[in-house]
Amino acid sequence: MAELALMSSEGKPVIGKEELRRLSAELGETEAGLAWRLAALTVYRNEPLPSRVAHLWRYTDPAHLLPGEPLPAAMPPRDLPAAVLPDDGPAVLLVPGRAPELNAAARASGLTVAPLLHDDGDAELLGTASPSAAGFFASLNSAAWNAGVAVYAPAGKALAEPLRLLVPAFAETTLPRVLVVAGRGAELTVVEEHFGGRDGHRVIGTTELLVGQNAHVRHVLVERWDEGVSGFLAVRARIERDGTYLGVNASLGGDRLKLETGAELVGKGASSELIGVVLGGGAQRFDHHTFHRHVAGDTRSNIDFKVALTEKSRSSYTGLIRIEEGAPRSEAFQENRNLLLSDSARADTIPELEILTDDVSCSHGATAAPIDPEQVFYLQTRGIPRGEAVRLVVRGFVETTLAQVPESVRAGLEALVTARLATLGEGV
Amino acid sequence: MSDHKQPLFSCKNLRAFIRSGDDETEIVKGADLEIMAGQKHALMGPNGSGKSTLAAALMGHPAYRVEGEIFLNGEPVHGLEPHERARLGMFLGFQYPVAVPGVSVANFLRAAMGARRGQEVPVREFRQLMTEGFERLGVRKDFAARYLNDGFSGGEKKRLEILQMLLLKPTFALLDETDSGLDIDALKIVSEGVNLASAPDNAILLVTHYQRILDYVKPDVVHVFMDGRIVRTGGPELAVELEARGYDWIAGETSAAARS
Repeated sequence: MAELALMSSEGKPVIGKEELRRLSAELGETEAGLAWRLAALTVYRNEPLPSRVAHLWRYTDPAHLLPGEPLPAAMPPRDLPAAVLPDDGPAVLLVPGRAPELNAAARASGLTVAPLLHDDGDAELLGTASPSAAGFFASLNSAAWNAGVAVYAPAGKALAEPLRLLVPAFAETTLPRVLVVAGRGAELTVVEEHFGGRDGHRVIGTTELLVGQNAHVRHVLVERWDEGVSGFLAVRARIERDGTYLGVNASLGGDRLKLETGAELVGKGASSELIGVVLGGGAQRFDHHTFHRHVAGDTRSNIDFKVALTEKSRSSYTGLIRIEEGAPRSEAFQENRNLLLSDSARADTIPELEILTDDVSCSHGATAAPIDPEQVFYLQTRGIPRGEAVRLVVRGFVETTLAQVPESVRAGLEALVTARLATLGEGV
Repeated sequence: MSDHKQPLFSCKNLRAFIRSGDDETEIVKGADLEIMAGQKHALMGPNGSGKSTLAAALMGHPAYRVEGEIFLNGEPVHGLEPHERARLGMFLGFQYPVAVPGVSVANFLRAAMGARRGQEVPVREFRQLMTEGFERLGVRKDFAARYLNDGFSGGEKKRLEILQMLLLKPTFALLDETDSGLDIDALKIVSEGVNLASAPDNAILLVTHYQRILDYVKPDVVHVFMDGRIVRTGGPELAVELEARGYDWIAGETSAAARS
């Protein structure tokens, strides 16, 4: 079928229904699973490409994030380099067209870690936090994801060690889909690591976290793709009564990343904290959107988002806090700080508040400023060369935020930040 | 031995300019200093005389365009970056030490000591030196984990400056109004630190507005700095006279001399 169109007339990747059936069968999904995908396909076909007029797309052209091949992507992908599954601590490897691969520690973790949509329970929960209708990319991923995993922490289960999900961008198109379900009172840390890839590779991922009553879930998203890789990632949490959620993102690599991350606080007493660290160099483009939606009262949310940019890199940040009518006594805070290390770097920041009830406490703040030359001079007078002094100031800028991250993942994040700083060009 | 004649630190016809728009303003208008090993000098002057600019320019602050020559142990340093001057043994104690949030005092001190020595300081040795320094300056142990100068009181900042001087062992220390904003107890501690640091093989230049610190630190030479120039140099008695008669006395004499 040489005449098969890759793109619809408006530039959307074409997703064939028959191809979807074949993908679902190859992945061993249940009938309910296939039905879930086909429902998402209907949504996808009605979703227009995001318009650049819509403010969330002001800073990114969706065409830069789209796969260059028809969907679902060819499988198994050609020429996949081998990704090694570490054996220290629970880890899972997600590769397009394959079942998730677990190491021994993951199998012994007491969590249920399984291929997605192999159990009809998955089909009931999938889309709870990130419905297919959440947007064009959400519907695309819902219909055509090709590397999925479901992680269940049973009620009362507490896992001290973080569970690592490794998502290499080795295939031309990687569409990861992650469902994390924490039962009542469970405690869990998931570290999702996006890495690797090469020129033209695309990743469109969705992660959903369902935080049960009084459960405590932390999710760390590390994006350290190689040069040439671009993608759209969404992380959405839904927090029940007295549950707590911490979402951390370290956006470091690739050419372009658009990340939407946030939480819905649906149960009384729920709380959510989002921490972001972005380090940009070269011509990198980062576009981050955070959202906190307070549906229930007596809920609390906080955002601390730090961006440091050098060379010609750019960052845009939009942060929405929405407090619904039935959510009195909510507290919501948001801060975005940008450090500009070169004259050509640029940061945009737009906070938004939609408050539909009285009796709430909200604040937001944003700054964008160059590095303070007096800080650099002070360090220089102590024998520290300029470049190292700048890196030290940037490390410190980020560190005040990372200090809030739990011990179990902080050291790893600090090491990644240090490594990224060492590779940033002149100006740092 | 002719070595005895060579000052440990000197500057010749030092001029410092700051840019404002297309214009330049001259702030230091030709300063000459010679400081011998083992000496403590005081540079006194009224507010706005340019004495802090002189201190910053000697250290290589990038905000100033500097003319003239600066020598440390006979070697020219005026073409060097600030960190290179520091590694050769120059030290600037700041009037307003800058906060660097997120960088702990301990990490900073270890980085600075490593830079000064040209090699990493072993962790155990560093811990010991830092703890000794804390005790000597009456600083609490939790100082180590705090972010550099972040939320520090004025007294804490000054103590940390003196602690750095003691740990980095400079051959030439410039202390820019280290005595300002200190209560009498802190002033004593800071003065003790200066006296402790003073040795036959180093030199100290105290830049100050008031004579107060000179009750505790005895300078060998006192310079009076006004309107970008050293207008008088004398012994310790000059500081006492200044305290009694004020800067106007010298200003009056200087302009009278200029008229005659």
